[in-house]
Amino acid sequence: MVSEYCLKCHSTKRQKGDLDLEVFSSLAQVKKHPKIWQAVWEQLGDGEMPPKDKPQPSAEQKLGLMKSVRSMLDAIAMERAGDPGQVVIRRLSNAEYTYTLRDLTGIDSLVPAKEFPVDGAAGEGFTNTGQALVMSPTLVTKYLDAGKSVASHMVLLPDGIRFSSKITRRDWTNETLAEIRDFYARFSSAEGGDKVNLQGIAFSTNEGGRLPLEKYLEAAIVLRDGGKDLKQLAQERNLSAKYLGLLVTLLNGSEPSPLLNHLRNVWRTAKPGDSVAMAAEVAQWQRMLWKFGSVGHIGKAGGPKAWMEPITPLVAQQEFKLKLAAPANGNEIAVYLAAGDAGDGSVGDTVVWQQPRVLIPGRPALLLRDVRDFVREMKGRKVGPQVGREKAPEAKIGEPEWGLDPRMFGKHPNGEAMEPVNLCVQAPSVVEIRLPADLFAGAELVTTGALDQKTGIDGSVQLQVLTVKPDPKSGLILGAVSVERGNVPWTSDNRIVLNSMPIIANAGSAAYKRLQLAFDEFRRVFPPALCYTKIVPVDEVVTLTLLYREDDHLAELVLDDAQKAKLDRLWDELRFVSQDALTLVDAFEQIWQFATQDADPKVFEPMRKPIADRAAAFRQKLIDCEPKHVEAVVEFASRAYRRPLTASETNGLRVLYRKFREQEQSHEDAIRLLLARVLVSPGFLYRAETPGAGVAQVPVSDWELATRLSYFLWSSEPDAELRAVAASGKLREPEVLAAQTRRMMGDARVRRLATEFACQWIHIYDFDTLDEKSERHFPTFGGLRDAMYEESIQFFTDFFQHNRSVLGVLDADFTFLNQSLANHYGIPGVTGPQWRRVEGIKKYSRGGILGQATTLAKQSGASRTSPILRGNWVAEVLLGDKLPKPPKDVPRLPEDESTEGLTMRQLTEKHTSDPRCAGCHKRIDSFGFALEGFDAIGRRREKDLGNRPIDTRSKAMDGTELVDIDGLRGYLLTKRRDAYLRQFCKKLLGYSLGRAVQLSDEPLLKDIRTKLAAGDYRVQIAIDMIVQSRQFREIRGRDVALDE
Amino acid sequence: MHGRDAHATNSGDDPMKNKQTSHQFARRTFLRGLGVSMALPWMESLRVWGDEPRGNQASSEAPVRLAVLFSGNGFHSKEWWAKGEGKQMELGKVLAPLHDFRGKMNFVRGLFNEEARKGNIHSSQTGNLLSGAPLASGGEIRSGTSVDQLLAQSYGRSTKVPSLVLGCEKSNPSVHKNYSMLYSSHISWSSPTTPTPLEIYPALAFDRLFKDEVSRGDSSVLDSIMTDATDLRQNISVGDRRKLDEYLESVRDVEQRIENAGKKGELQGWRPTLAKPNMPRPADGIPQNIAEHMRLMADIMVLGFQTDTTRITTLKLNNDHSALRFPNLGVDYMIHHLLSHSDSADWLKVNTFFVEQVAYIARRLDAIQEGPRTLLDNTMLMYCSSMMTGNHNNDQLPVIMLGGGGGRIKGGRVIDYSGKPERQMCRLYLSMMDKMNVRLKNFGDAKEPLGEI
Repeated sequence: MVSEYCLKCHSTKRQKGDLDLEVFSSLAQVKKHPKIWQAVWEQLGDGEMPPKDKPQPSAEQKLGLMKSVRSMLDAIAMERAGDPGQVVIRRLSNAEYTYTLRDLTGIDSLVPAKEFPVDGAAGEGFTNTGQALVMSPTLVTKYLDAGKSVASHMVLLPDGIRFSSKITRRDWTNETLAEIRDFYARFSSAEGGDKVNLQGIAFSTNEGGRLPLEKYLEAAIVLRDGGKDLKQLAQERNLSAKYLGLLVTLLNGSEPSPLLNHLRNVWRTAKPGDSVAMAAEVAQWQRMLWKFGSVGHIGKAGGPKAWMEPITPLVAQQEFKLKLAAPANGNEIAVYLAAGDAGDGSVGDTVVWQQPRVLIPGRPALLLRDVRDFVREMKGRKVGPQVGREKAPEAKIGEPEWGLDPRMFGKHPNGEAMEPVNLCVQAPSVVEIRLPADLFAGAELVTTGALDQKTGIDGSVQLQVLTVKPDPKSGLILGAVSVERGNVPWTSDNRIVLNSMPIIANAGSAAYKRLQLAFDEFRRVFPPALCYTKIVPVDEVVTLTLLYREDDHLAELVLDDAQKAKLDRLWDELRFVSQDALTLVDAFEQIWQFATQDADPKVFEPMRKPIADRAAAFRQKLIDCEPKHVEAVVEFASRAYRRPLTASETNGLRVLYRKFREQEQSHEDAIRLLLARVLVSPGFLYRAETPGAGVAQVPVSDWELATRLSYFLWSSEPDAELRAVAASGKLREPEVLAAQTRRMMGDARVRRLATEFACQWIHIYDFDTLDEKSERHFPTFGGLRDAMYEESIQFFTDFFQHNRSVLGVLDADFTFLNQSLANHYGIPGVTGPQWRRVEGIKKYSRGGILGQATTLAKQSGASRTSPILRGNWVAEVLLGDKLPKPPKDVPRLPEDESTEGLTMRQLTEKHTSDPRCAGCHKRIDSFGFALEGFDAIGRRREKDLGNRPIDTRSKAMDGTELVDIDGLRGYLLTKRRDAYLRQFCKKLLGYSLGRAVQLSDEPLLKDIRTKLAAGDYRVQIAIDMIVQSRQFREIRGRDVALDE
Repeated sequence: MHGRDAHATNSGDDPMKNKQTSHQFARRTFLRGLGVSMALPWMESLRVWGDEPRGNQASSEAPVRLAVLFSGNGFHSKEWWAKGEGKQMELGKVLAPLHDFRGKMNFVRGLFNEEARKGNIHSSQTGNLLSGAPLASGGEIRSGTSVDQLLAQSYGRSTKVPSLVLGCEKSNPSVHKNYSMLYSSHISWSSPTTPTPLEIYPALAFDRLFKDEVSRGDSSVLDSIMTDATDLRQNISVGDRRKLDEYLESVRDVEQRIENAGKKGELQGWRPTLAKPNMPRPADGIPQNIAEHMRLMADIMVLGFQTDTTRITTLKLNNDHSALRFPNLGVDYMIHHLLSHSDSADWLKVNTFFVEQVAYIARRLDAIQEGPRTLLDNTMLMYCSSMMTGNHNNDQLPVIMLGGGGGRIKGGRVIDYSGKPERQMCRLYLSMMDKMNVRLKNFGDAKEPLGEI
């Protein structure tokens, strides 16, 4: 038969179409060239051969010939099943290159291949096929430039390298700063702060880093009654177990403390919520015991030692000045001289109010002792002869006694005489003084309070001069603290902390020491802030403190050892990246010069040496770190090459680095160029695989298998887990391979499989840059194309990630939408720009890829639909039908659906009625007609742009009625299901292998279809079978002759 | 060497045997050798005639430049024609913009490319336009080294940039009708398996010509990766080695370019009329407006010639199967490809727009005086498409030639090869190579140049 119908043209002599079928005298010959016989089989089936104008075999003959060719081919396929095929070494495609660099660096904003030439497609139509991935001098230059650009994102660290989305030292510093601040924020709260105004800019100088005491106290209240595990509670409430334990121990303590006694009492009976009051009490103490210094002044002569400095509210004596205001009604001003015991009992608490006196404007000072007489005199009362102080004048009944009895003065409570103008009392005591407002309003009461130097040496008291009667309770009283700013040059700290209620105690006395200890303990457990979260001080305009670290309380109270180490590492990084030690050298000189102009530069003198020393140490550190950076790049190279480096590669990198340095490049330039070199090397750019010796196919190495797997599923390098499995040598074990495959399918990176495989397969790749629609006809398209593409990508991502049915690609009754796309589709109830899964979309004539805007718009013209393009797409892309080549002189088509008298369908029908065209168009146009219910950008429509009604009824080649998308979908899923499944599996296999599918793959493809049918068509079945197949896991032997 | 060639050497019973097998083998070896000899030390023994470019020799004559312009999908079926001689020549509407250049133009009718008729449509009609080589189908990529790249690898090596390969439309990554769309996006091929990547960014094309700054250490980097590549080469299959050689050759080429960067000004005799670019570097990115894009690429082409930075340029104004639209012409309702299936007034408008670009280049070249002749006189500018009209008809191809090829091509003619046995496009290429002093025994399906050109 062959000789009768074929050899007339395809003889050794004539070789029409470069084809000689005469030489095939034996099966061995056929085996050598199965592709030719595959083509023979296809061309017979398509009716392409023998040509129409040549003698034709009978249908029976033809069938018989096809059958025998098929069985011959099937036999060859079985014999060669599992042949890995000839896979050309693959350069990373632009997409793979981009994804790989993003994964290597962790920077998703990298677009290194933006200006690269677009990759071509080969094999089964994908850009990951070696044949299409070319190299050229221009491309080498672009890779080198791109490598350098990526290297500019590398940040050198004291212990290695990291990558940043930014490329300046300033930004890198800010990133590390932010990391440290985030770290701080995990343990502290952002409250607090004093507002200051620096040259018109308002700052809060000491906010943040606060100890979140309320939460801890609340937990301590819960723990008080037992029954709850401390560690567990701390974990539940996101608190530090370390600090919580410390706090509970402190509250449980029994040794008396004037600061803690009250707090402990409250705690013992506290109910939930009482933590607020407890924290407020602690906060008041904190204000008394701490002062926030100006960080910008630290280190200078006379400057603060730290941001938070302890203050001790103990004084030997205290001055009082009290303005006497007129009362709202009546004529009586009440003043109280109060002396409390400071919470430690009244032993030794003898207080002397020295020379209490009243200053009335325009008069000499009036001693308090003389007030009573003065009032009487001024009131014009008769005063008896001055017989001595013992005989105080009596007030009349009903009249208030003004002032104090003069006999109270000059006398110790134990009766001993003392300075006659002083008032001596035993604390606790409140002396009430009443003064007539008409005489004293506007005057000032002045005195100094101190302990009596004989009987009060060991005392401790708190004094107040008030106009309201104080609560007589015993205990330490919390005063008010205020900060004032002194008038000093800019070079000095100008803060003065004032405390309204210091404790009067004599330095060195037992009481003094006792209180000091109590303060220290309190301060240790209750620092107001744990850490200085600002790090970069903003409290002074000019400063030599660039980066300030103060987190010792955090470390001591809260952090465990690992956390401390992490924080230290971060700070080390910050210093290293910012290079502040070097910056300071110049800054010091500048500020020094600056200060000579209007202030005294000497205050900076103490900083000179430390700054110079730190800079020297830092320079040494930079040198010490250089080898670490080289090693970090070597390690990076191993990841980039997706395998352990050879000794020669490792050595090559080290040698190259030294060469750069010998060329007098800086370390930093050299290390960046070294990284760029890694990124332009063949080990990175190509996925090289080593074949076995001889002709036998052998499994690829674990590293190569890991790379095949990760580029198949993720279009990128193996991640840490896959690398670890590869390193362990276990990836070849089928169960391990299957487990990794499933893990990776569940990962978000499978979106790349959706984009690279699925979108390329259905020809919507890069749809977001599609620029083929008329703005005049479709002004909304430009704003929607990103969303259209996103829908399809999310749809396929979901398909792979959730192991959905392969039939669902056509049949799913859900999709992913945001509001604008839902509006475009006419699907109600989707509001907002966020993406979501939307169910039940078939009732809106959507569902599956046939109803997605991407496919509908892509297979249309700029201003009209194209049933031919859509139909051809369904036939060739979804079903894998092979269509004969169109005639070379196809009739012309009109351009615009609104301007002609006929609908697009009618025009197409007219066009394809030409008998030379009809044969094919019958096979494809009916599919396109069924989709005419969608316009050229995928909207539902009843009428076309010329306002003519749309007809979506059509008839497939086999006579099946297809009405609209549902009819077409149903047809594809039933009558053409096997063709569709075959096409899907073929494309997936071709994508996974990076080559065209060949005859020897047929048994595998058949197996996959069988298993799919038995397994609810879950896509994971196909993926698993491909990954476990010999073609995927093995490589042809080195000495296998190349395919033609 | 490629598999097919290897095959051809040993099997007498080879069913795919081409009539030209033995010649083809010689030619491929030659092409391959030419490509490799500049790059691979172990192939250096394979020296061939044509390897010593005449351009290196001192000469007082301006060199001949080659410009190939291409647009896809053919032209209007009624308006691509010319008749008459010299200044009396009449032109179809598509060619109207070339009115002023009739005296320096040859309208060539009837040429065709046999191999391009064998495959399917579009991509398989384009990928071998400049080589006449058979195209591999079924997901393989194989064509032939194109005439411009063959010249670049010999004649072009006397300039800083051997050739410039430009485009105004990005290529299409898919397989269409069993042929990779790489074919429809690439007319220039550096080797049978390497389509030369097109530069579509004007700024990067400009940089390719004029960016001289070589970073310190680049040579060491290239040196170092060459070592990697040669090591790697030991461990991979024979087939992969061929692919990796693309890399090796490319790296070596960049290395040489860096080495040569410091050796300027050694040429004796003729000097270009412009030493430095007289236009600013174009902005980054791709211009929104296609007219602006084409204009910039045209300017860069002219600048490359005028400064003698390159002597060979191909410019693909669009792809075959092009998806360009032309809002600038008020034709935004249909992409170029679908428009080509009509024969409308707008199709004519778009055709004319393309020819205007050709005319613009000719006008600019003709305004530059190089001694007694203009730069246009010293140029061979060929403009062609992959098919005659949008209905895929390539029984003959639309071809016009502009410029005098250094005084060696007489203009003002309509040359008609219709129905003649010597109507192979590859004969035209042999003629063009001849003007650049590269003479081959055969090229593609041709053994003789066209007598008339």
